[in-house]
Amino acid sequence: MSESLFGLSPDAVVADLDEGAVHLRVDAQLYPLEAIYAAAYVFIARCWVLLDKPEPNRIRVTLTAKGAQPSADDLRALVGEFGNELLSSAWRHEITKTNRAMIEAVTMQAFSGAMGPPSLDELAAFDFTDEPFEDPLGIAQSWEDKYKKKPAKEGEP
Amino acid sequence: MTAAVTGVSAPAFVRFRELGDRVVVTSLDGEWLVLGKDEFRTFAKGDVVPGSELHGRLAARNMLRDSYDVRRAADTLRRRKRFLHAGPNLHLVVVTLRCNETCVYCHASRADLDAVHTDMTKETADKVVDTILRTTSPHVTIEFQGGEPLVNFPVVKHIVDIATQKNRAVGKSLEFTMVSNLSLMDEDKLAWLLEHRVQLCTSIDGPAALHDKQRKLPMASAFDRASYWIKRINAAYAAAGLDPTLYHVEALLTTTKETLARWREVVDTYVGLGCRALFLRPVDPFGFAEKTRRVVEYPRAEYLAFYRDAVEYMIELNKQGVEILERYAAIFLTKILAGDDPNFLDIRSPGGAGIGQLAYNYDGRVFSSDEGRMLHAMGDDTFLIGDVRTNGYREIVGHPTVRALALASNLDGQPDCVHCAYQPYCGTQPEHSHKTLGNLLGRMRESSMCAVHKGIQDWIFTTLATAPPATLDVLRRWTTIRPRDHFVQPSAPGP
Amino acid sequence: MIELRFHRELYAGTAIDAALVRLADYAQFERAEDGAHFVVRVSAANEKRARKVARELGNFALGLTVEKGGPDR
Repeated sequence: MSESLFGLSPDAVVADLDEGAVHLRVDAQLYPLEAIYAAAYVFIARCWVLLDKPEPNRIRVTLTAKGAQPSADDLRALVGEFGNELLSSAWRHEITKTNRAMIEAVTMQAFSGAMGPPSLDELAAFDFTDEPFEDPLGIAQSWEDKYKKKPAKEGEP
Repeated sequence: MTAAVTGVSAPAFVRFRELGDRVVVTSLDGEWLVLGKDEFRTFAKGDVVPGSELHGRLAARNMLRDSYDVRRAADTLRRRKRFLHAGPNLHLVVVTLRCNETCVYCHASRADLDAVHTDMTKETADKVVDTILRTTSPHVTIEFQGGEPLVNFPVVKHIVDIATQKNRAVGKSLEFTMVSNLSLMDEDKLAWLLEHRVQLCTSIDGPAALHDKQRKLPMASAFDRASYWIKRINAAYAAAGLDPTLYHVEALLTTTKETLARWREVVDTYVGLGCRALFLRPVDPFGFAEKTRRVVEYPRAEYLAFYRDAVEYMIELNKQGVEILERYAAIFLTKILAGDDPNFLDIRSPGGAGIGQLAYNYDGRVFSSDEGRMLHAMGDDTFLIGDVRTNGYREIVGHPTVRALALASNLDGQPDCVHCAYQPYCGTQPEHSHKTLGNLLGRMRESSMCAVHKGIQDWIFTTLATAPPATLDVLRRWTTIRPRDHFVQPSAPGP
Repeated sequence: MIELRFHRELYAGTAIDAALVRLADYAQFERAEDGAHFVVRVSAANEKRARKVARELGNFALGLTVEKGGPDR
C-alpha cells in the first residue's frame, strides 16, 4: 500500500511499507541522467533499483531495500541518503565538466610518473597489429601502400 | 546576479572559510591569509585601497588580480605536486598475519601463532622485492608489517638482504622500517636490526593501564615490554653516536573512546618514553574495529575536542623545553607555512593509493594501500590490484582501480573540496569513503575523515591568527624536516 | 510470473539481453517490446524465486547499462 513518509512531499516520494520500497520522482531537468545513474548505481549493493520515465522530464527511481523489513524511519533515511548522493553526483558532473582539463592532466601525470616507460620485454609483448587510430586521409599510410597500382576492373585494359 | 568585480583591487581566484569572526582566504597554490570580516568584505568587493596595509598584505600573498604573478603561482603549484612525477615510494610488506597480541581495534586481520600458512615465503618475498625495485620513485621505503613482523623474522632478514643486494644495481635511496609491538624483541634481533639500519616504530596507546586494556599480551604487560625495548633501542642509538633528538623509536597512537578523556596522560606517557612525535590518529573503520565499533568509536566532535586539548598541552610543554610534536599538525603546517608537501599519502591530492604506496600481502597479492588490504581481510577485494607472482610492476600500478582511485581522490573533482579553503593542503581517502559511505567518491559533508581534516585545520588557522609569538615559534619548528640519513642504506657494499 | 518494464531511454537493450544471459540458470524469461519499454516476463519454480530473480535482473540491467554508458543509441 502506498503512503507518504513524514516530512517528505508525496509529490516527490511515496513509500510502500509492505514492499519495503520507496518511489522517488526526480526532475530530469535539474538532475542530468548521468547523475541519476551515478546515484542509483551506488545503491544497487543495498537495494533493488528500478528506473522508469512516467512522463517527460520526470524519472521515477524505485528503491527496494534488501535484507530485513525496513521501518518508515529506515525508508526516510534511505530517501535522504539517495537525495544527498544524487545532489553530490549532479554537482560532481558539473565540476568535472569545468575542471576536466586539470583533472585529466593531473591523472595523466600521476600515471606516467608511476608507471614509467615500458621495458624492452613489455614492448616486445605489445600487439602492434591493432589499428591505433582512424586515418581517413591516409596520412599514416606508406607511399607504396597509398599509391600502389590498383587491380584493373573487369573490362578495362 | 552581481556584476563581476574589476579594478586594481579585484581579487584573484581565492577560496574562503569563515572561522568565527575571521575568514581564512587561500589561493589556488596555497597562499593564505586570515582576515577580519570587514577586511574580507572589502576584499571581496574589490574596494581595497591601493597602498593600504591590507592591499600590501594581499599583494604579498599574490591574491590580487591586477598584480597576479602567474609564474610564482605555477612554481609553487609545481613544487607542491612534484610527487606526481614518481611512483610508489612506500611499500608495505605484510610478512605474516600471525600475532602474539590481540588489540581491540586491530586492523591487521591478525591470525593466531599457529597459523604458519599466513607467513610470507622467501620465494614470494623475492618477487615482492623485484616488484618494489621496479618503482619509478628514486626513494623507496620498505615497511615491514603484520600481524607482528618479528614472528617471521627470517623473511624480514631475507628481504633486507636481497633488497640491499639488488639495489646496488638499481641505485634507489633505500630505507627499511618495521612496525612492531616489540614484545618478541631480543638482543640478537635488535643487534641485527641495528646493524642493518632498520628503523623501528611501535604502538603506544597511552598509560600502561589503558595500553594493556586495549592491547592484550598473554601472561605479560604489553606496555612494559614495549616501553622496555623503546628505552633499550634509544640507548643503543645513543651508544652508536646517533643524535637522540633525531634517532629514537617512533610510536603511534590509536585514539579510542577511552583515550579521549586521558589526553594529558597520553602526552606525558609519550614524553616519558623519549618519543618526540605523537600522531593523534582517530580510530578507523577497517579490520576488527568494525566488530567493536560501539565500544571504541565516538563522534568526531569529541575527537576534535580531545585533539585541541592534547595539542595545546604539547605546545605548552614545548615552551618548557620539551621536544614533542603532533604529526597531523606537522603535516598540515608544512603545507601551510613551508609551501611544501611532506608527501603524507593520505593527505594529498590525488591520494597515494597505488601511485604513492603499495601493500603486499603475505601471499603475494598486491593492494592499493594497507587499508585496501585490510578490506580484503574483511572479504572485500575492491582494492586488489595484482599479484607479484603473475603481474609485472606496470600492470599493477596501471590497474584500472588505481586510475579510479587517482580520480576519486583528486580534490579538483570533488564536491565541497572544490570550493573548500583547505583544498590546497588536504586529501581524502577513497578506501575510507568506500567503507563508510558506500562508494569511492564519498560525500564530504558526511565523511568523518573530512570532519577531522577540517577540524584540525580550523584549529591551526585560528591559532595562526591569534596565538602569541612563542606558540607560533613552536608551530614553525614543527615544520622542520631533518633527514635521518643513517637509515638510508649505503649504496656500495661494505668492506 | 513477474513483469518488468525497462524504459528505452533509461536502459540499454543490449544490457538487458546480457543480464538475461547471466541469470538464465535461475528462471525463464520472455522478452518483448511495448512502445517505449522493453518488457521482460520472469517465471520460476515459485513466485518468491521469480520475484528475487526479477529484482536481481533490474539491478543487473541497470549496472550493465551504466557500465555501457547509457541506453543504446
